[in-house]
Amino acid sequence: MASLDPRIRRAEPALWNVELPPLLPLDQWQTYEVFVVRTRGSHAQHVGSLHAPDPELALVLAKEQYARRSTCVALWVVPTDAIHRTASEEEDLFQPATDKSYREPQGYLTTRERLEKYRHRLQSC
Amino acid sequence: MYGNLVLRPDEIPNWGKKIEEEDPEKLAEFEARIARGEKIEPWDWMPFEYRRQLIRMIEQHAHSEIIGALPEGTWITRAPNFRRKLALMAKVQDEVGHAQLLYSAAETLGKSREAMINDLLSGKSKYSNIFNYPAKTWADTAIIAWLVDAGAIINQTTNSKGSYGPYVRALERICWEESFHLKYGYDSVVYLATGTPKQRAMLQDALNRWWRPIMHFFGPPDTQSVHTEKLVRWKVKLATNDEMRQQFLDMYVPKIWELGLTIPDPILHKDPETGRWVYSDPNWEEFWQVINGKGPCNAERLAVRRFAEANGRWVREALKSPQARYVMPLA
Amino acid sequence: MLETLEILLLSLADDDLILGHRHAEWIGLGPILEEDIAFASIGQDEIGHAQAYYQLLTDLGLPTPDEYAFKRPAERFRCAHLVELPNTDYDYAQALMRHFLYDAAEQVRLQALRQSRYEPLAGLAERLLREEKYHWLHARTWVEKLGHSTEEAYLRLKSAYHLLWPYAWLLFEELPQEAAMVEAGWLPPNAELRSRWLELITPILAGIGFEVGPPASEVLLPLQGARHGLRSPHFEALLAEMTEVSASEPEAEW
Repeated sequence: MASLDPRIRRAEPALWNVELPPLLPLDQWQTYEVFVVRTRGSHAQHVGSLHAPDPELALVLAKEQYARRSTCVALWVVPTDAIHRTASEEEDLFQPATDKSYREPQGYLTTRERLEKYRHRLQSC
Repeated sequence: MYGNLVLRPDEIPNWGKKIEEEDPEKLAEFEARIARGEKIEPWDWMPFEYRRQLIRMIEQHAHSEIIGALPEGTWITRAPNFRRKLALMAKVQDEVGHAQLLYSAAETLGKSREAMINDLLSGKSKYSNIFNYPAKTWADTAIIAWLVDAGAIINQTTNSKGSYGPYVRALERICWEESFHLKYGYDSVVYLATGTPKQRAMLQDALNRWWRPIMHFFGPPDTQSVHTEKLVRWKVKLATNDEMRQQFLDMYVPKIWELGLTIPDPILHKDPETGRWVYSDPNWEEFWQVINGKGPCNAERLAVRRFAEANGRWVREALKSPQARYVMPLA
Repeated sequence: MLETLEILLLSLADDDLILGHRHAEWIGLGPILEEDIAFASIGQDEIGHAQAYYQLLTDLGLPTPDEYAFKRPAERFRCAHLVELPNTDYDYAQALMRHFLYDAAEQVRLQALRQSRYEPLAGLAERLLREEKYHWLHARTWVEKLGHSTEEAYLRLKSAYHLLWPYAWLLFEELPQEAAMVEAGWLPPNAELRSRWLELITPILAGIGFEVGPPASEVLLPLQGARHGLRSPHFEALLAEMTEVSASEPEAEW
């Protein structure tokens, strides 16, 4: 049956005789991780990855896949294999074991109370 | 403390293990994390069975997007005015973009894009049946953009509550873009429904031809489809086929009737007692035939993909870097 | 003068419309997903630019963009033959080379039109240049990379270049009534635009090892006349396809 798509019809009959051996590893190139800087002054945010042969084309291609609708001021790309991270089993590294409120602003909520008590004592003398 | 962020598939330690061979302690931890509503990320330990099921599911979804670009692509060069031409181009472009996002999400689980494309072209892995039907007239694109995309949104919104981080993130963006498709599709349908008698007839004809494939879209009835309790517990499968089909009928049958169109199913109605839609058997035999390669367009769809891959090969080959080393992306 | 303005704007608009239409044939068939997406955007931009040029005429009481694009007989189109050429065998080298030669011309043309004394056109050119910046970056990056890669890529680009070169040269064919346009300060003479274009592309093409120079006059002669309404043999089929749906029910809205 001839295709209903005139674009496809124009590729016939060659379309039906394509020999394609299985794609080999890296046929689709290596991957880059993409980061978007949404506005001036904001941090770059990871938004996904893409396949590209080099950093220049990675940026050119990322522009339309990751910023064709959202506005942003800059894109970063990083080869996936350049990224290092803490191990998954070590998530508890980030959980404190003891009270660390002494280094948080919320650790100092009773200061005023102390002063009020003192003034109260002075008055009752 | 620095773990290797990046893995090659051959470095995944429990690759190929059956569920009963997995480390019970790790498995319990993994299930507790999902039960707490936390997401699983690519670098986390996960049972191989979870990995395998997700790869299969995300890969099929990715194939459906790239193949799904073809039936609507049929009308790109013939769209009737600027607004429709630009919107159709943008919509089909989005489908290609969704394939890109989904292949990336599947890759984070250890199957390369090349391997997925090979399996698509050899017929080893499947894609949504609905894209094996032809888009015969302009009205077909309107019906696809409205109702097929509506079905896709129901399916994808359900899956976006799943447990696998990269898939969920891809689906959030996809659903957002699909909502443009749905609005565009509905707008196109309304123009045809409120247009000339010829336009209305064209629309009714398209609905007649697409209704059965749309009923097939959510998959076989629950009585015929096997889904283990495990996939529900792992938040891989979040709703049954019938639940999603009922949700679709609930949302869209009234809208179709509102346009004065006839749905080609004389017994279709909502049972006031059960609150469920009753419909004729949409010929599940046909569904299985199409899945097994005997649909009207299966051969063409795969031939076109093979042609595109073969045709672009010299471009990819030309810029291949000898230093490149494959690692699983993070998505 | 309105007729003269129409000639100018239609030649700009028709180039963008028809090239955007040709680019659109690639959607879903590109060499890799990421590039498929990028090229689809460029095609959309071109068609959007065409619409904006037609709109300048609509604003003066002339037909709407849809009427110009979908209801005009072939002989009233004024696009260059470069944009009409089919995507023969879906050779991506041809698609990229045409995109490169055309978007270099757009750079030059739009930079000049920013200074146009027809203010609506100057304002539009300023806006369109924002999107054209990406087109030019995309085109140049691809052509430079592929031009310095494998033998196969080099040869494909080279034969695309040889095929397209005389057509690209004629992007700057003199317009009917061009003297009056130049006199009015709407745009510089096309001959001048062509030399600016050559300055832009020569270093890049020469860098890959392609010779750049005027095509022989016996090659150019039979290809001339596009701006006067002479269509290439490919145009009729293209227009019939593009207008198939709209012509099937001419009074309908879609």
